[in-house]
Amino acid sequence: MARPAPAPLYTLRGAGSPLNALHFGCCEGDPPLLFSGSGQGSVHVWNLTTRRAEKVLEGHSGASVTWLNTLHSRDTLISQGRDMRVCLWDLAEGRGDVTDALWTGSVGFCRCSLLETGPGRWLLAHAGEAMEEVKIIELPSKSPVCALIPQAKLGMVMCIKLWQPDSSPGPLLLAGYEDGSLALWDVSQRSVLSRAAAHPEPVMCLDFDPAGQRGISGSSEKSLASWMLDGQHRLQLQEPVALVNPGISQLCIRGDRKIVASAGWDHRVRVFGWKKLRPLAVLQHHTDIVLSLAFSDHQDPRNRMLAAGSKDQRISLWSIYNQGSSDTG
Amino acid sequence: MDHQIDDPKLAFAYLRPACVLLTHEPTVGNVETLSTQLRHVNHGTLQQLQDYVLFPLRFILKIPGPKRDGLIQAVAEAMGYVLENTCVRSWETLRDLLSELCLCLCSPTDPGKPAPTSEELRAAVLRCLDALLHAAYGDVVFKLFEPIMLPGLGAAISLLLALGEQEKSRTVQAAALKCLQALTLQCDCSMDHVLVGQKERRILGSTMASFLPGITIAVSRVITGDMRHGHAVTVRAIKVWFKTVGLVMADDQLQNTGTGERQLWELGRVWELVVQRTQDWVRNTSGRLALLLKKIISCTSAHQHWRVRLEMVNFSDHLLANCSSSLGECVGPLLEALVGAVNDEEPTVRERCEAALREVAERHQSSDSNNQAFTDVLSENLHSLATSLPRLMRTSDDQRKVFVLNVFLGYLKILGPKVIVVLNSAAHLQRVSKALMQVLELDVMDVRIVEERSSAVTVETGPGPHGAHAQRKHFLYFTDERIFSLLKEICRVLGYYGNVYLLVDHFMDLYKESSVYRKQAAMVLNEVITGAAGIGVAGGQERQGVPSQEDLKAVVESIIEEYICLSHWHLPTLIGEESDRGEQEQQTQFSLFSISNGVEGKGNPLQLVQAVHKSSTIHELNSNIWQICIQLEGIGCFAQALGMDFRLILMTSLYPVLEKAGDETLMVSQAALDAMWDISQACGYASLKELINENSDYLLNDVSLNLQRLGVHPHAPRVLTVMFSHSDPSLLPLVGDIVQDVLLALDMSYDETSPLFCTVLHSLMKALARWFPSSVAGTSDALGTKKVWREQDQLNVRQFLLDYHKQKELAVGIGAEEEGTEHPELPPSMDCEEDMDGPDVKVELPAHITIAKDVMERCIHLLSDPSLRLRLKVLDVLELCVCVLSQKENELLPMAHRCWPALLLRLTADDPLAVLRAFRVLCTLGETCRDFLRKRVSKEVIPKLTAWLSKQAPVSARAGPVYSHTLAYKLQLAVLQGLGALCLHLDLGDSDMDAVTESCLPYLSCRQPPKLQEACLSVFLRLIEVDPDAFWLTLNELYCPCSYNPPHPDLQPVELSGMGLPRNEYTDNVLKLLEDFGLPEDTQPAGIQIQ
Repeated sequence: MARPAPAPLYTLRGAGSPLNALHFGCCEGDPPLLFSGSGQGSVHVWNLTTRRAEKVLEGHSGASVTWLNTLHSRDTLISQGRDMRVCLWDLAEGRGDVTDALWTGSVGFCRCSLLETGPGRWLLAHAGEAMEEVKIIELPSKSPVCALIPQAKLGMVMCIKLWQPDSSPGPLLLAGYEDGSLALWDVSQRSVLSRAAAHPEPVMCLDFDPAGQRGISGSSEKSLASWMLDGQHRLQLQEPVALVNPGISQLCIRGDRKIVASAGWDHRVRVFGWKKLRPLAVLQHHTDIVLSLAFSDHQDPRNRMLAAGSKDQRISLWSIYNQGSSDTG
Repeated sequence: MDHQIDDPKLAFAYLRPACVLLTHEPTVGNVETLSTQLRHVNHGTLQQLQDYVLFPLRFILKIPGPKRDGLIQAVAEAMGYVLENTCVRSWETLRDLLSELCLCLCSPTDPGKPAPTSEELRAAVLRCLDALLHAAYGDVVFKLFEPIMLPGLGAAISLLLALGEQEKSRTVQAAALKCLQALTLQCDCSMDHVLVGQKERRILGSTMASFLPGITIAVSRVITGDMRHGHAVTVRAIKVWFKTVGLVMADDQLQNTGTGERQLWELGRVWELVVQRTQDWVRNTSGRLALLLKKIISCTSAHQHWRVRLEMVNFSDHLLANCSSSLGECVGPLLEALVGAVNDEEPTVRERCEAALREVAERHQSSDSNNQAFTDVLSENLHSLATSLPRLMRTSDDQRKVFVLNVFLGYLKILGPKVIVVLNSAAHLQRVSKALMQVLELDVMDVRIVEERSSAVTVETGPGPHGAHAQRKHFLYFTDERIFSLLKEICRVLGYYGNVYLLVDHFMDLYKESSVYRKQAAMVLNEVITGAAGIGVAGGQERQGVPSQEDLKAVVESIIEEYICLSHWHLPTLIGEESDRGEQEQQTQFSLFSISNGVEGKGNPLQLVQAVHKSSTIHELNSNIWQICIQLEGIGCFAQALGMDFRLILMTSLYPVLEKAGDETLMVSQAALDAMWDISQACGYASLKELINENSDYLLNDVSLNLQRLGVHPHAPRVLTVMFSHSDPSLLPLVGDIVQDVLLALDMSYDETSPLFCTVLHSLMKALARWFPSSVAGTSDALGTKKVWREQDQLNVRQFLLDYHKQKELAVGIGAEEEGTEHPELPPSMDCEEDMDGPDVKVELPAHITIAKDVMERCIHLLSDPSLRLRLKVLDVLELCVCVLSQKENELLPMAHRCWPALLLRLTADDPLAVLRAFRVLCTLGETCRDFLRKRVSKEVIPKLTAWLSKQAPVSARAGPVYSHTLAYKLQLAVLQGLGALCLHLDLGDSDMDAVTESCLPYLSCRQPPKLQEACLSVFLRLIEVDPDAFWLTLNELYCPCSYNPPHPDLQPVELSGMGLPRNEYTDNVLKLLEDFGLPEDTQPAGIQIQ
């Protein structure tokens, strides 16, 4: 049963600083790309065919880039930096300029969350100027939609996830707070639907699977909390998953809802089956805290990779649990 | 000649007397007069007077009875002139002249046999005959071929054949054959010829059919007969043969035969001579011709002279063009002959042959039914050739082998795009591939292959693409390099025209199937891919389904994957690789010996032989080495085939190649270097350095991965070594990352892998030392000061006294500025540098300094490793670390301090080998740290060393010649060589100096081995620099060559204990040293005076 630990498919080197954010951009025809945001404010665009940095974008004046995403199938890149700005980049036809920027006022670590509401229209949730505030704006118009401030004292907002459920007309937002609690917001009503104290420590990260109505969150302690939404949009805590070492920087559920990966402070990436949260593999390669994770959205399932960015300035690429691939872990 | 007579009347009047005279008096003189006069008559006029002029000449021929040869010859020449310049319009003239001329040649009894006449006569008559046949008018000449003429014609033909075959003179032979050609209206000379229409050709053909057997048999005897008769005759004979056969057996004549041929035959016996070209006749004849033809081809296709080969091309071409269906069974041999010339060494032949082949191909592509048959013939030929190829390659000589392979290649070239179809037949593919597998079998007996070791030194500087090292392959069945290149071309052509997927699949199967075929299959694959990319295929035709670059890339990737998979890539190439550890131990010991001997990187045959039985045989190892080399070559080929597209494949393939570049077997590492050059060229890198630098990310990715699983992939250190040796400092930023990995991996597993890592660290430090050369150059420094000192001494006694006075004052206690004056030559430049960035403590250290520090730290731990081999390696690394760190004294000194205890142990209580190395490190340290170490050395090292030297001196003085091979000797030598410089650098105190002097003095004895004496002299030379006076005294105490008489009687005479001694064991060396002080001119050495 216990096969030797897999080796990474490749290690991307040369970012020169810790990797806080990763995002795949796979587009049919063109070589797949990986965007990485570094602790020194640069965004590297890695060509995954040549496995080299194709371009380095500098736009956050040296402040760490914490979150990345793409719009218009990777023609536009959106990046969030700790210079309190969210930048929009035009990447079409080899360009690489900031076309628009947005001041968030948030000094925290909370990563933004993006939701496509229609063709060419998105909602972006980001932490606001006030510590516990989550603001939602519409893109590309940048018009504010709402600001969600909990009445209870929950502390700083740490992580958010915005999604559009089938059941309700408006989008829902999950937010994790400094006091370890999770809150489910109805964005259109601007009201908290449900709250749960998932962790004793601040919630560091969460991911949610809208189809399964289940989510998972991590904190600085030695366990992962998993929870689900019942029919009345109530958060139900489930059995936590115990970890060997404390501290999780990011959690990522793969698009096919089969596995979930955690970026550990113990330098390891752990992979769990999403259904029962059974531990599947420990990916050991990095020599420092793993800070970020991303699953590839490649068309061909065999080329769907997992990328992990670490404080040791390397990005490791893993080919795991994809059908037909020879070196599954 | 200038004024030719053009008026017929005038000409007639002019020629008449001569003609008349000739009729009356047939003499040579008269004939010559006429022929001179003939030359003054214009051609047109001559035409009108033709009959008149010819009459007296013919008259002479008709005179009954024997005639003199000279006369006939003159007549023939004169007639020849007339006929050359006029036309024969009347049938009677033609017929009569023909028979008259033939009569001149034949013996009177048998009209078919030549008369025993002179050579000149025959030549003249033949020339005349030739002129006659050329002069005949179109309407009369065809009458020659009417059935009624058959007997006469037959006589002429047999006469000519007899001349052509039996004549001794080559000119006559050739002339006879040419006449024969002219007689059948197939002449190809530069003169005008009668146009032969379709109908006439048919008549001609059917008439000549009667003579076909005679002509072909006789002429083929000429062709296949004596080779000595020169190429001109052979060429002519070949022409006659194929022209005649081509005429009689022409397809267009035979296709509609029998209709309306000859209605009225009341010719009686002549009728019997006429041949009806019926189906039966054709069948029988072609059968017989086939026999002759095969004989001709086998005799001439590999002929020495290119004109003959050229003619054979014409031969095949002509017959293929005209008679391919009537001579059905000859098509195969004909094609073979044609194809065999396709790669002829003579360009004219080649061009002609290519043109012919093109025609053949076109002709057969135009008509579909034919085409199929043609392809069948070709593929059939190919099949049978492939079947017999291995046998031919075993049995025939090189010339023949080349020919056979040329034929093989030619078939492929003619088949061209059809190769795909042919190879689609499994039987064919099987045959061809088996043939190649057998023919390409390598001879792996050469022992040197295993023996030759590459040392890191040779790897470092590649002179350029493909140095002189390219190893020749030795094959079992041939030696000629041309044969190998032909075989390679065959494979390339296969790849060019064939279906790449099919071929690669097939040969890949063979490759995997068994190790017997693996090397050959790999060679074939390499060339197939090269060919598929269109490289090295000369004059290729259009091909169908050209593989796209993408396809090619996919194929190449799959092959490379197979090549570099563990079981095909990591083959044992060293004897006893299973017992790796022990073997390496031995090897290092050995290489250590050889290093001290000054010969590096040579294997020890004895040791090899001992090791053979315990592991695989040399055979297998050789075979493995070749396989790896071929695979490496393949990667180079693939790179060239793909060009820039290979850059992406570098991700997977560069690492394995570098792995092999670091291989210990010379051939493998050379092959890998060549492959690297190929890759650099293909991918547009100017040098290996660029290749490695640009792709260091790919390499380092694998390196760092494999460092973590050394059990499976133990070669990562090797790759690093190669990278370091070929790269430059620009690699450093990325390497810094990896070095941390290496050190981490080392820290994780000290016991098992440390030898491997030490190799890496060694190469790393060596690279760093090369990239950042240290500014300290101790020896040259010292030499400089020495000169200065000598000059001072010579020039300035006064200054010396002043200095001495000053010194004395200082010693009494006056001086405070001591430091400034005592060592004026000592401020090294690096100190200034140090001062400049000294105050800024927080400045980040350069990467290489940090690395060197980290490495040195590990060295301190590893210095006490139980394995001697490892300790030695570590000492080497340590020395390099010291060199690198010498640029930053602030970093060096603490490190030197830290490593001192461990180093001291090596110096004082270790194996002599380790002591040797450790002493070298000490010397380097002394050079860089200078007086920092003074106290430690004088307290802990010098006493032991000097004691040991003193103890050892009597031993070496007594020892025999074998002693110089012992460790003790080497150690003595090394210590003596290093000691002088060490003392100088460390600026040792007087007591230490005394100890050193004491221990070294015995080595000045002439009883010591010469090298030790030399080394000892060097010690003294160094020491003399420090304190000349003291040593002058010491030396003179030992032996004083001259007496020193005081210049004034008031002065005390100088008394030295060495004075007046007889010549002793020290004399020579002491004299040498004293010479250095500069002996006074007038004083003669006492010892010499005595003798």
